[in-house]
Amino acid sequence: MPGVDRPASAPAGTGTAPAAPAGRPPRIVGFLCDFAVDVSAFTAANGTLRDLPHVTLIKVPCSGFVRPAWLEFALRNGAEGAFVCGCPLGDCFNRLGNNLIGDRVVQLRRRFERQRIHPDRIAAIYYGLHDHEGFLGAVRAFSDRVAALPGPVVPAPRAAAARPAAAAAPARPAAPPGAASPSASPSAGSRAESGPGERADGAAPEEEP
Amino acid sequence: MNTSPASDREARYGTGIMVLALVSLAAVLAIAWGEVAGHRLVAGGAVGVILLAYSFILLFLRKGGFTGV
Amino acid sequence: MYSRLLARLLSWTLRLDVAINRVYPEDFNPLYYTGGLSNLFLTVLVLSGIFLFLYYIPSFNDAYASVQFITLQVPYGQIIRGVHRYSADAFMIAILLHFFRNWFTDRFRFSRDEPWISGMMLLLFSGFLGVTGYVLVWDERSQLLVAMTGRTLAAVPGVGGWLQSMWQGSSGISNLLLPRMLYLHVGLAVLLYILLWWHYVRIRHPKVWPPAVWTLFSLGLIFLLTGLVPTLSQPPAHPESVPRTLTVDWFFLLPYVGLTVLSPLVLIALAVVITVYGLYIPYELPETPAALGIRDSGIAQVVDANCTGCELCYYDCPYNAIVMAPSPHPGVTKAAQARKLLAIVLESRCVECGICIGACPFEALELPRLLERDVQEQVVAACRA
Repeated sequence: MPGVDRPASAPAGTGTAPAAPAGRPPRIVGFLCDFAVDVSAFTAANGTLRDLPHVTLIKVPCSGFVRPAWLEFALRNGAEGAFVCGCPLGDCFNRLGNNLIGDRVVQLRRRFERQRIHPDRIAAIYYGLHDHEGFLGAVRAFSDRVAALPGPVVPAPRAAAARPAAAAAPARPAAPPGAASPSASPSAGSRAESGPGERADGAAPEEEP
Repeated sequence: MNTSPASDREARYGTGIMVLALVSLAAVLAIAWGEVAGHRLVAGGAVGVILLAYSFILLFLRKGGFTGV
Repeated sequence: MYSRLLARLLSWTLRLDVAINRVYPEDFNPLYYTGGLSNLFLTVLVLSGIFLFLYYIPSFNDAYASVQFITLQVPYGQIIRGVHRYSADAFMIAILLHFFRNWFTDRFRFSRDEPWISGMMLLLFSGFLGVTGYVLVWDERSQLLVAMTGRTLAAVPGVGGWLQSMWQGSSGISNLLLPRMLYLHVGLAVLLYILLWWHYVRIRHPKVWPPAVWTLFSLGLIFLLTGLVPTLSQPPAHPESVPRTLTVDWFFLLPYVGLTVLSPLVLIALAVVITVYGLYIPYELPETPAALGIRDSGIAQVVDANCTGCELCYYDCPYNAIVMAPSPHPGVTKAAQARKLLAIVLESRCVECGICIGACPFEALELPRLLERDVQEQVVAACRA
């Protein structure tokens, strides 16, 4: 079982550092394989989950169909988290799609660290046709974790590049954590957040920031 | 002592691994005894016990969170 | 009604998976590795079979004695014999699980009929190999099997007598029988590997081995069974009198149990019907995605201008539907200008899963009815909501 659905070891969404504005849950885009978990009974017409209306699901023919660039595209277009859900590992209808997207998400998380986007904003989870309980639990845990992440989703690239690195560090604490302020750089803060205590996400456990 | 669910789980599966390691040690002795005493069926069965114990050790390592995802 | 039954079976299969995944880590679920388990047992069979082959003597006078010699005199001979015997049963269980699971989960659709057809042949040959193996022991059961098989074959209208003499080597039981059975047992095992090549040829990265947990568990169970329930021969065969009772191995000798209630001709007709139907399964239900009620995104298309010939889609396509051909002309984008190769989708093998789209970092592949643009529009709409 992926550790995603074990909130025991994951930081509680409201407990540690609620950086998102209180009350507004994070906007999350999920790519859902046609053959994976069947949530048609829990989904509204526009693809949002009934229980979690801030989560929108986009159906794709296979989790391997998802280009990792689309996860980044979602983050750069206003989503605060993006995940892919495929069939359980080893049970992909098309044999390999979920393993492939799992590897690609791991690679993308590594790239996000270099780009100072918090890697926990993306995840790959795996739930089969009838495991909607596990799926909803995992999405809820993911949503809570994303809600706890500080800072803007995507650091403003030009501001970060233009400013000397030494000057960047002391300026940050003044920035309001939840606001999408164009000049605030979350790099050091988000790295500290993703320390060993938090590595229970199960989506990409072998990499360590 | 830390009594979080994670370390609780580690302790439980860790104990299981210790027991299985002892079982496989006993099976090694059974193989030696079977070979010396000419009970080769016992020796062959003990090979199976070792392999089964190792398979569960691998499973417990994973379930206890010592290896893998 | 039939398709409703299949839908029900699919549902049960996947519910079983959910239950197993609560106990085991999901990449340890043994039902995801039935093919790999079959291959494991086949490997064990070949290795232990080579050992047995070195001692076996295929003649009426010596066959039984040589098997007894292996069992009682050769060090650990009985263990190896038991391993051969029990892994054969386990092999049969594993391939039947593989068969039913892939049937119920629709994994024979579209271009996947080739693994299905070769798998059916593997199943038939495995059953036949099991029967020939039981004959080699040349005890009472072997004798009964030969007689029953001969009688059944003789019941085929027209060519029955010929079939029977083909099976036995002559019209009666002759000294040719055991060498013939030895060859059919060992030689057809080689054919099994040829069929396995066919089984894998349209599949990229087949999962040919189970996880280590299940490798150890299966081997351990086989050895433990061998120690607890040692394999023994029945009393030796006597050509003068055919025995009346059959000690049954339920995994290989089920048809022979059927012979006690069915007439040989009915049994043969039943076997033919089951076989033909099994081969027909992939072509039975409507083949179009629309008729199946699944998404029809169209065959993947290569965007010529963007393809850089990097081969990533070629490595990831699960059905070898993409081949790399020498590029006739350079691409348009900068990355594609210096390409030597061009990806080509073989339409007959494409299942429209879109895995190549996820593999391509150069936006050079698209599903015609689910373009990257469509997905991005959905993402933007989701972010606005």
